[in-house]
Amino acid sequence: MNKFITLGLIIGLSGCALLMPKEVAAENIDITGTVQSRCTVNTDTPGVYGNPNAHTLTTLPASAGQLPIVRVDTTLANAYNAQISYPTSFASSPSLGDTIAWTGAVTVVQTSSSDMSGYQAGSTTTGAARTYPLSIAGTTWFSVASQATYGGGQNKAFPGGSYTAHVVAECIAQ
Amino acid sequence: MYRSIILFVLLCGCSALILSKNAVAHDMTPTYPKWKITQHDGIYKTTMEMFNSRTDVNWYEIGVFDDDWKPIRFVTSYRVFKLEYLGVAKIDVYINARDKDRAEYICSKSKLKGGSNDKPMVESRICSRFK
Repeated sequence: MNKFITLGLIIGLSGCALLMPKEVAAENIDITGTVQSRCTVNTDTPGVYGNPNAHTLTTLPASAGQLPIVRVDTTLANAYNAQISYPTSFASSPSLGDTIAWTGAVTVVQTSSSDMSGYQAGSTTTGAARTYPLSIAGTTWFSVASQATYGGGQNKAFPGGSYTAHVVAECIAQ
Repeated sequence: MYRSIILFVLLCGCSALILSKNAVAHDMTPTYPKWKITQHDGIYKTTMEMFNSRTDVNWYEIGVFDDDWKPIRFVTSYRVFKLEYLGVAKIDVYINARDKDRAEYICSKSKLKGGSNDKPMVESRICSRFK
């Protein structure tokens, strides 16, 4: 008889333990993480050349082109320069016998902080490349305009075919 | 009740984020790598980590440069390597002791396909610096 009472008590206590609220048995579990300084280059909008006339390829939206938008994220102030270059040659194209005049412009179109408003004024250019010291952690969006005119000033028609040119977006550690 | 609402809002937010933006990014860490000694005399090593969330790029190239951007000889398993979308790669780069102090930048550059119909226009390059 005593054995049955003891067994009943054990089962009863075990049941109580199982039914106890979870908070009683809870522990604090830490979640830890480290954010490394880094720079990320993102392509938010791929560029497309429009062909408003036979001798021009342009990314301007008014000419059915699309401006590529590059987003650069940096997690540490004064650690990186962003360097964005518009194209000065085709990566792939039909055979071209005449010269091509390249023009372009890189512009800051949006920033994650109003403190970055001086980025465009503080940038420097070397040829087709524009360099921006990223002095504030956050996100910057750049648009890259590009235009190619064929014929060395005589406006010759581009040969029919597919054309590709590359915008180079770089994060270079300071 | 509240848990369900929070879960629903989170799911909607994540779906909207995934559907609204085709985020394509390239990053490489650390920003300031260091050369470490190896068991081989006169050979130093550094390890870079890369993450590819560019849907339009699967191939990257590693390069080591001096402060005038002249290439420096180095050894790695593959100078041009495949890194799938959302893939992470750890790349060991080895260099001679005589070149170690000249090395200023280590860069990874996206390799864009030339022959396909889907031609990305933006080439991304990230350069870390030896200090």
